[in-house]
Amino acid sequence: MPAERAILPFFESRGWRPFAFQRQTWKAYREGRSGLLHAPTGLGKTLAVWLGPVAEHLARPAANAGRHAPFTVLWITPLRALAADTLRALREPLAELAPDLEVEARTGDTSSSVRARLRRRLPFALATTPESLSLMLTHPDFRERCAAGLRAVIVDEWHELLGSKRGVQTELCLARLRRWCPELRTWGLSATLGNLEEARATLLGSAPDPRAVTISAKLPKKIRIETLIPREIERFPWSGHIGTRLAPEVARRLDDAASTLIFTNTRSQTEIWFQELLSLRPEWKDQLAMHHGSLDRAERQTVEQGLRDGSLRAVVCTSSLDLGVDFSPVDQVIQVGSPKGVARLLQRAGRSGHRPGRDSKILGVPANALELVEFAAAREAATARKLEARRPLERPLDLLTQHLVTCAIGEPFRADEMLAEVRGTHAYRELSNEEWAWALGFISNGGRALASYPRYRKARIEDGRYVVDDPRLIRQHRMSIGTISSDGHVVIRFANGRRLGTVEEGFISRIKPGTQLIFGGRRLELVRLHQRVATVRIPRRPAKGQIAVWSGSKMPLTTELSHALSEMLQRETDHRSPPELRAVRPILDIQARWSRIPSDDELLVEFTRSRHDEHLFLYPFAGRLVHEGIGALMAYRLSSRIGEAVQVTMNDYGFCLSARRGLRLADADIRSGLTPALLREDLIACLNTAELSRRQFRDVARVSGLILQNPPGRPRAGQREVQSSASLLFEVLQRYDPENLLLAQCEQEILTRHFEVARLEDCLLSLEKRQIHLIETINLTPMAFPLWAERLSSTMPAGDAAQRLASMLERLEEAARA
Amino acid sequence: MRVKLHDQTAVLLSSAALLFEELGRTLVIADVHLGKSAAFRARGLAVPEGDTRRDLERIRSLVIGQRVGHLVIAGDLFHSRAGTTPEIIAQVDRWLAELPCPATLVVGNHDAKLAQLPDRIATVPRLRLAEVRVVHDPTKAEAGPFTVGGHLHPVIRVADGRRSSLRLPCFHLSANRLVLPAFGSFTGGHRVKPTKDERIFVFPGHEVIEIPPPLWR
Repeated sequence: MPAERAILPFFESRGWRPFAFQRQTWKAYREGRSGLLHAPTGLGKTLAVWLGPVAEHLARPAANAGRHAPFTVLWITPLRALAADTLRALREPLAELAPDLEVEARTGDTSSSVRARLRRRLPFALATTPESLSLMLTHPDFRERCAAGLRAVIVDEWHELLGSKRGVQTELCLARLRRWCPELRTWGLSATLGNLEEARATLLGSAPDPRAVTISAKLPKKIRIETLIPREIERFPWSGHIGTRLAPEVARRLDDAASTLIFTNTRSQTEIWFQELLSLRPEWKDQLAMHHGSLDRAERQTVEQGLRDGSLRAVVCTSSLDLGVDFSPVDQVIQVGSPKGVARLLQRAGRSGHRPGRDSKILGVPANALELVEFAAAREAATARKLEARRPLERPLDLLTQHLVTCAIGEPFRADEMLAEVRGTHAYRELSNEEWAWALGFISNGGRALASYPRYRKARIEDGRYVVDDPRLIRQHRMSIGTISSDGHVVIRFANGRRLGTVEEGFISRIKPGTQLIFGGRRLELVRLHQRVATVRIPRRPAKGQIAVWSGSKMPLTTELSHALSEMLQRETDHRSPPELRAVRPILDIQARWSRIPSDDELLVEFTRSRHDEHLFLYPFAGRLVHEGIGALMAYRLSSRIGEAVQVTMNDYGFCLSARRGLRLADADIRSGLTPALLREDLIACLNTAELSRRQFRDVARVSGLILQNPPGRPRAGQREVQSSASLLFEVLQRYDPENLLLAQCEQEILTRHFEVARLEDCLLSLEKRQIHLIETINLTPMAFPLWAERLSSTMPAGDAAQRLASMLERLEEAARA
Repeated sequence: MRVKLHDQTAVLLSSAALLFEELGRTLVIADVHLGKSAAFRARGLAVPEGDTRRDLERIRSLVIGQRVGHLVIAGDLFHSRAGTTPEIIAQVDRWLAELPCPATLVVGNHDAKLAQLPDRIATVPRLRLAEVRVVHDPTKAEAGPFTVGGHLHPVIRVADGRRSSLRLPCFHLSANRLVLPAFGSFTGGHRVKPTKDERIFVFPGHEVIEIPPPLWR
């Protein structure tokens, strides 16, 4: 291995030997190949992809005669918080091997002085995020800088980007870079996925190098998954929320470890568990911290540093700490609540033992009895390597229009060349001519719908090229690059200006000035809320305060885990059964006695009556999103037939339909409600009334640049005149430009993301073949109770505004008469 | 829906308008915001046209359908300077010419920014209809007679705690004033939090409905 000899001293001085996968990667890189490398975290993936380009550089002394090495490596990281760690990891070997090579980071957090320096000259390697890379594409000289020497693009944590619009944004940027630098090699780093080949194909574009490779680290990392089993299972809720009842046990586990990460599934849970643990271990006040995406960057960085240097005992966090930051001191990981997926559980377990040769272990803390079995099922699925796939997105047009404007700002483009480039990505490989024409129209003059867009123009056409040169439009566009929406966020800060983070408008507007809230682990008093800025202070006297809540959607139980769970529930229990299953046996017995244990190869339907309503419970075991979809579908089909409004609630195991009468159905009626015939038509019909597209439109409008992104505070005078809510814009488009493809995209996004339509379709097809067990129960069964209880927080009522209002008024009158 | 405004009886219409039958069938609307989508387009935001024509047509059919004798617009007929293109001014002029009754504009804060307003419309800072006064911004009106205004784009959140809430434009009536909902089809709203002695009327379908306090959120 000729070139790599130069990098071996780095290993030798540490008494290490390169792993086989590292040598393979170096060799593949030297041979000019692109590829995907997957290995568990903490095994040296970074060195595998990074030292190839370094070795190549060192092997060409002649080319390096100049004062500065050219811009050679672009490193893309999904989180800007990771950029600092990436820098450290990249610089470490250079200190020994090539001290004069520079590595810098450019992200949204980079100071303006560093940015200005980078505008003048780029270093040997630059670490950045997809958003910052897009932004660089708007700089007219960026092409020249890339063409001068860029040889490698490395996409870190590709599995995180894949399946999101940020992944598609990365694909588009890569296509541009490949056109500028035809010799460019692309490497992706990924954790284990169910669809690695698809992940590679997406990264490398629609015409990938046939010599591309997928390299796997063949080092099995031991992962131990245990659960906290509550002593009195009968008093443990079958489903729903247990709160923090197991917190004392969790606190005891913290005593035994040097440093613990406690993952929860939502930001509010993080706040709640932090408070609870602090009250159990007040002496750890300075060693206990929390971390989530709504905390201010400075707050988060302090916590990350504390994890790195081992000064924190425990950090309660969300998925914000899922990614590759190297926290070597962490020796224990606790997962509060079901991880809802096998891959996610493995990813989180991998946060401990973050060193080659060390085991990872994770302790599951169930929120209810069924979650106990979910942990056991996840453990079995992990051992059998039945992991989830992450599907890449198909041609989101909002992002395409954003990217076209980005490109036109940087360098005017010809439509035909750009089309070839865009179709070179995996996401847009099947972009139709009509869609392309629409996108060009959208950014220039309104296209075919020209008459509806008088005096509109973003890009103009000059000598056959699309140009954007209005300084105001350029500024506006640069501010809105990206796909992450911060709409509706309110900044929380002290009067002295110190920022604590953000909360949702809906939450903070319910807090009265002078009363208290709990945010970021602090008790705060709201002083005033003005122009999306909430000023707070530390209260003199603590009072009862509301814990901050965020309305993010809940992750559905994945197909892999649902199946493993259903399969496990059917098993006979004996002394060899997993301890979790043995523990919940008493509750399973009640379910079996009153009704039946549901499974995903038949369909259990329970009918029951409450004081005012009739309820039908169905348990397809397909995850909450699919249940929401099927529930809405069935409610829609039934309500027109029985002439009653039908309400839907759902969880990961099933859904419940409620109506005042008419739900006592025969098998055949249930089957006709569940038929996959006319699925999309019916779903779309009920979407119109369910207002979901309208909600989805916010993101689409934001990405396509229909809504201006405003920093919190009073909008500038000119901005105020062009403020509009997404739902209003949605109505306007529906009414005056119904052919607008953004509307179609919205519908598609709702179908695929909100209802997982492919999974939903599979589920309906499978239900057609499953035997129905319709059982009338006197009491709510253990499976039914949580669904019934969710009725109080239903989110998707049927009917339009007038109908819904009428039913509210009717109920109110009834209550008054009673 | 008939309501008593000081000494006058008036009708709240489901098209976001107020009709004084006994004062020569005077119709009051507020906050049309013509040319709002044009203002967006002028800033490179691809929002389609159509709102201007639709809203003018809505007013016209209301005037004809209700046999209106006098049309009063309580401010913000236009949205902004950037959006008030010569085409829109011409369109409004033609529309005024064909309108079967006279029209008065109580100038709103948005109208005031315009270089010029159509000639065919009478403009006043405020208007007196018998004992009732019509202004644009009722929060700026000094104490005095009963006030009808717009400007606030009132919206009420309605919920009964059993199902998700509704956000509906509304008429907001208190002892001494009535705030009209925004008439324009491309206008947003601001949530009101009424006190117990006030009244809220919404119009989600073809009729005006009063919302009792237990449903206010």
